Amino acid sequence: MKHSTRELLETMRVIVCCGAGGVGKTSVAASLALAGAQLGKRVLVLTIDPSKRLAETLGVSRHQEEPVPVDPERLADAGVEVSGSLSAWMLDPQMVSDAVVRRLSGSNDNAKQLLNNNIYKNVTAMVAGMQEYTAVEALHGFIKDDAYDLIILDTPPSRNALHFLDAPNRITEFLDGRVFRFFLPKEGGLFQKATSKVLERVLHVALGKDSTAELLAFFRMFSGILMHLGRDAKGMREFFAEPSVAFVIVTSPEKEALLEAEYFKRKTTTELGLNLCGVYLNRTLLDLENQAAPETVLSSDNHDACLSSALEKLQVMANSEKKLIAGHREIYEELAARIETKQFLTPLPYLSEGVSTLNHLTYLAGRLCSA
Amino acid sequence: MLAGLMKRVVLVSGKGGVGRTTVSIALARAAVANGKRVLLCELQDQENTESALGRALGGFSLSENITRLQPDLNACLLSSRYGHIRFLTSLLPAKALITAALKSRALQVFLNSAPSFFEMGIFYHFLELYKAKEADGSYSYDMIIIDMPATGHALALTGLPEILLRLIPGGPIARLLREGQAYLNDPEVCAAWIVSLAEQLPVSEALELLAGLQKTNVPVGGLVLNRLETNPFNESEMNCLDALGDVDDLLGARVFRNIQRMDVQIERLRKSVQVPIVGLKECKDNAQNLFDTLARELNAAENLV
Repeated sequence: MKHSTRELLETMRVIVCCGAGGVGKTSVAASLALAGAQLGKRVLVLTIDPSKRLAETLGVSRHQEEPVPVDPERLADAGVEVSGSLSAWMLDPQMVSDAVVRRLSGSNDNAKQLLNNNIYKNVTAMVAGMQEYTAVEALHGFIKDDAYDLIILDTPPSRNALHFLDAPNRITEFLDGRVFRFFLPKEGGLFQKATSKVLERVLHVALGKDSTAELLAFFRMFSGILMHLGRDAKGMREFFAEPSVAFVIVTSPEKEALLEAEYFKRKTTTELGLNLCGVYLNRTLLDLENQAAPETVLSSDNHDACLSSALEKLQVMANSEKKLIAGHREIYEELAARIETKQFLTPLPYLSEGVSTLNHLTYLAGRLCSA
Repeated sequence: MLAGLMKRVVLVSGKGGVGRTTVSIALARAAVANGKRVLLCELQDQENTESALGRALGGFSLSENITRLQPDLNACLLSSRYGHIRFLTSLLPAKALITAALKSRALQVFLNSAPSFFEMGIFYHFLELYKAKEADGSYSYDMIIIDMPATGHALALTGLPEILLRLIPGGPIARLLREGQAYLNDPEVCAAWIVSLAEQLPVSEALELLAGLQKTNVPVGGLVLNRLETNPFNESEMNCLDALGDVDDLLGARVFRNIQRMDVQIERLRKSVQVPIVGLKECKDNAQNLFDTLARELNAAENLV
């Protein structure tokens, strides 16, 4: 049977929204959350490094230590009836990373030392895969407790929609014990010691002696924590493959969307065994397909000269609009032909004013569920 | 052409979907028309996916090696891996050592995933191209135009010297970073341009990006408002349409409304930014003609402010 958004909202524990940057992924994630709350679910939407805009729209502050409930009155004021509840957690990656360090350091002293390390302070958020890991780390905590029925995870923006799914692999690779041992020359056999020497020499030459020492100190301190995260990464992959976790992809009507969908299919179904349920083709003009051309009005009535010339000019715009819509239709059809039969493909409208109010989100939520 | 568009290094940034790559190519053409030897670059990403710039240029598969598109128009990818190799080669006299080091999986993984090292490689590659000279002593490229990745990453790159220098205050990398930072922060040498559309959401995003770029001390040349629709209606025609009542049900009405709102957005930008704003008209031509048209427009562009 074909999946639908409504079914996902009613049956899944987690919906992961993937998508490249700039396609409106965060708005779709927030709309999904709102739709879930309207269906009576206790919903949490989890987003990393979110825009100020969404925070303002929902009336919650960013970078809090825990999820913030969206004020029901605020929703009621916008005419949104929510029988469940809606909370949002807009994460600061550094903050979550600090929390992980405190939790896994073993002792307060160790934690303090690492949190004060110059390198840690400046670059942790930039370690490849760390943002993605942060999201999953946060997610994990909520899965265990029973405060939410449904969690919508808005993955960090990336150029590539699938970046997120590769994160566990990338972080495991980075954390790979073997790699670390090369930087910790005290251990290992002769071969490793030799390789470590080469690496150290390269680093010395490139970074200078002091910086190399600092870097190695960072690795020594951080390695324990990273190793732990690395072990978790395996569990994370398994968790994402569970049937109660749905993946949806958000894309926009551009040629790249097709490439992405293709890549996604290969990745999810064959390589990672994930449950890809559907695609949202966001920001399309397909709603306008059945609009009447201005010239039809022009010919049917007897208008004054001013209106006639205005309608003629509007017709020129209509012609270029027609081409644009046809392009969106073409991409829609091609995508439809490429996805699996049980996956849905839902077009969502382009909203000229952006998605900047609760009304916009509610409108999108309605569209998601009616499809 | 506006002086701010003709710096030796022009970083073109902006959110996805605003036509950043198109504007980069048009700017490159305009500079060539002004007698410049131009190098057009895009960052090679870690997954090595197909280059959007190469595709937009008409199906070139770009690499870290220079592709000559026209006599004075060249293109390449800024490659982190290539940068790492070149950097180490410049430091280590022993070739065997470099080969051994680069063969090590540990180093490869480290360079690709450790903080900032990816950007560092890109940075080195850029510097090498920046300093490249011909046999007669002149710079190989009068102008290097970089089609920057969407927002977050662009800031990571322009902010890189700052961050790394805090970590690595001495040694060859630090020297290199200081050198690069001096170029990138010099308004005579470098300008970052933000491409946007004159619509509410893109304008908000452009303002956020502008604030971010200014924090990294990279001089901002200005904003390019792409795809500006010219308003063909006179006042009374607009009133006629509005009086029609159901005008929004007609095809083309969306564009009509956008045009009405565009002025509001341009006004909003005028009020909130100090940098020049350049407008490019909407043009629905095929790609090659589009680049030429936009290049001519950029050439003749004046500050809208």
